[in-house]
Amino acid sequence: MSNGLTVVGEQMEQVSSAAMTILVPQGAANDPSGREGAALVTSEWRLRGAGDRDTRRLNDALDALGCQHHEDVLSELSRFSTASLGRNLPAVLEIYADILRRPRLEDATFEPCRSLAMQDLSSLEDEPSQKCDLLLRERFFPWPLGRSAYGSAESLAGLTAPAVRQAVADIFTPQGAILAVAGKFDWQELCDTVDRCLGDWRGPAPQRVQTAPAHNGAMHVAKPSAQVHIALAHPAVVMSDPRYYAARVAGTVLSGGMSSRLFTEVREKRGLVYHVSCHYHSLKDQAGMFTYAAALPAKGQTTLEVTVGEIRRLGDGIEAEELDRAKVQLKSAVVMQGESTAARATALAGDWYHLGRLRPLAEISDAIDRVPLEEVLAYARQFRPDRFTVLVIGPEPLDTGTLAG
Amino acid sequence: MELEFKHAVLDNGLTVIGEINRTVESMAAGFFVRTGSRDETANVAGVSHFLEHMMFKGTPRRTALEVNRDFDRMGAQNNAFTSEENTIYFGAVLKEFQTPLLDLLADLLRPSLRQEDFDVEKHVILDEIARYQDQPQHRLYDKLMAEHFASHPLGHSIVGTAESITALTRQDMLEYFDRRYSPGNITAVVVGNLDWPAALGKIQESCSHWKPYEVSRDLSPAPAAGTARTIVDANLAHQNVGIMSPAPSAQGDDRYAAHLAATILGHPTGSRLFYALIDPAIADEAQMTYDLLDGAGAFITFLACAPRRAAEAVRITREEFRRFMQDGATEAELQAAKNKIASGATLHGELPMGRLTAVGFDWLYRREYLPLAKEIDNYFAVTAEGVLEVARRYDLTAMTVLGLGPAEAI
Repeated sequence: MSNGLTVVGEQMEQVSSAAMTILVPQGAANDPSGREGAALVTSEWRLRGAGDRDTRRLNDALDALGCQHHEDVLSELSRFSTASLGRNLPAVLEIYADILRRPRLEDATFEPCRSLAMQDLSSLEDEPSQKCDLLLRERFFPWPLGRSAYGSAESLAGLTAPAVRQAVADIFTPQGAILAVAGKFDWQELCDTVDRCLGDWRGPAPQRVQTAPAHNGAMHVAKPSAQVHIALAHPAVVMSDPRYYAARVAGTVLSGGMSSRLFTEVREKRGLVYHVSCHYHSLKDQAGMFTYAAALPAKGQTTLEVTVGEIRRLGDGIEAEELDRAKVQLKSAVVMQGESTAARATALAGDWYHLGRLRPLAEISDAIDRVPLEEVLAYARQFRPDRFTVLVIGPEPLDTGTLAG
Repeated sequence: MELEFKHAVLDNGLTVIGEINRTVESMAAGFFVRTGSRDETANVAGVSHFLEHMMFKGTPRRTALEVNRDFDRMGAQNNAFTSEENTIYFGAVLKEFQTPLLDLLADLLRPSLRQEDFDVEKHVILDEIARYQDQPQHRLYDKLMAEHFASHPLGHSIVGTAESITALTRQDMLEYFDRRYSPGNITAVVVGNLDWPAALGKIQESCSHWKPYEVSRDLSPAPAAGTARTIVDANLAHQNVGIMSPAPSAQGDDRYAAHLAATILGHPTGSRLFYALIDPAIADEAQMTYDLLDGAGAFITFLACAPRRAAEAVRITREEFRRFMQDGATEAELQAAKNKIASGATLHGELPMGRLTAVGFDWLYRREYLPLAKEIDNYFAVTAEGVLEVARRYDLTAMTVLGLGPAEAI
């Protein structure tokens, strides 16, 4: 559209639902300095009345449409996700136009939203696995791309309604925003509704986040937890890189199903942990492999060493059978996710954001099929991590001397 | 969506049911075993769940690593879970893998339970128990069930304790298996784009040799403690509170009204507790669910808040329950709850994995097949009087309250 909003969709005839994902380029990394947490508080605040409706009437209107919805704040994006019967999509979209463009953001509703964010932040202290992940991202990505959406207790305490309102006005914009729909809907009707509700939405040019080098290194947070929580990150290629599929296949050999390297070596053969896994996560210009394992403290060091050993060993060789299994798993996941309207809407929005185009399911399957073993191996060698960003939460520190440089 | 229901019983008592949906590309299959922690004696606490892990450790035909490889070779999305009363083994695959998936799942159900695998897996279970210690909500759920159901078997912990698992022997597990995994206590469920004759044929071929025997379950009425206390843990920063009260059982005709009542009172958005607790930020979590069980049921509410506001949050919750029992729901609230449930069930039902559990549990609990559309109709048939009636009959204020966190009193 002329205001910079892109609308994409995929019709699925076999379903009766339609899911919508709206990405707006205002994420945690865009929070103004000293106002960290503003985007997160805003995502809650927007639901406290928009357009003609106060909080209660807004909830009632969404409930009347049977609309399941979820709002979250990512590194460089705010994401609004809905799912409802396809026939209710136009009405849901009209309500979301209010939430995006005409949130009331009243003084009276600000304090509870900020308070909820502070309570959530506090509860993270009791969830070491989640805290581990947040701290790891902060240290792995160039600052502030991995910064926690919660900011800090201090920054949340310093937020005021006028300051957050100003941040929204300065940053929230249709330019670069993406609206993706998957499921049962009429494309022309969708375009007409978007045109009517969002066509005259205007906003500033999106700001590029100025980054500083990442902290990396190793960090231990002392906590009398029952397990030692170990999180590792190492770099990977972004989604638009030609080696992307090789990276995904390599990641699946390492940590796809129950026969993958990490699960087999760390859990099945040695019984060191209940949970060990590694997943790929990509921002626009940065990507990484994120590994997490948790063990009884006495087994923490061995768990760390076996896990790192497996990640590094990947480049030494991959059996043809392993490669085939990884490919079947990836392809099967693609088809099965393609049956979920919510997963498909998220994937379409992600495709447009990362690649500037949409990938049909068949294209993804073919691309996975075509990756030769040599490319996967070459990738594993090229990205064999000498150094990791390491985050450990537990009673005692672990020896991370060989990992963090 | 054209759906077709199939049903067969093998000579040894194994039930096989199917729901065919030709509009999808995948199919899902599961073996639903009617057993869980409520069927355990105290000396083997956690054996159901430990056994669930051991089922993946190999059979006379496959080693543990081969089991894992065979799942992955099909690109299966597979898992298993154990509850107080059910243990489910399941997988979803593209439809061309129907036969190998059924072959593998059926093979799993007659495991070798080798000593060396048992010894390694015990460490994994002990780690899993430690993992839940670092998740306050999980810890609280375990303690709340024990508190509310007092000495009734439904109060048994699913994972057991580090002590009970450490003491458990392979022999204990074999005895438990021989007591609970009779084909008559198991239902095989297949859903999605499937070939029914082939599925039934494969299950017959793989499972007909399973020997049947008598299985029983203690279905004595579950008490509701109605106690209120708190577990003080100064290492926690945040306060959690669990609240339970009696509700219709999985067999009760009033289960639809109960689900609607829980939605009106405690859905994460737009519910009574949302406006009373979340909207003013007294609590950051207030969610009520309806848990239906075999011959029993419970409303369960979880609150999370700053420690100093815990007592207030509990008082407000009790007041909301009391008010609801007096006045019931408005027509608008009832309609909204129906829409939420119908929409959720529709989205869930569009995926074979989603239908698998719905179809399986309808059969396990009531020997009944309910197409999604019929289930949704049943919700829409409930009146405001029906919802009020269920709230009053089961008495929402007959609460068991358990706190976990730094607060000394709630």
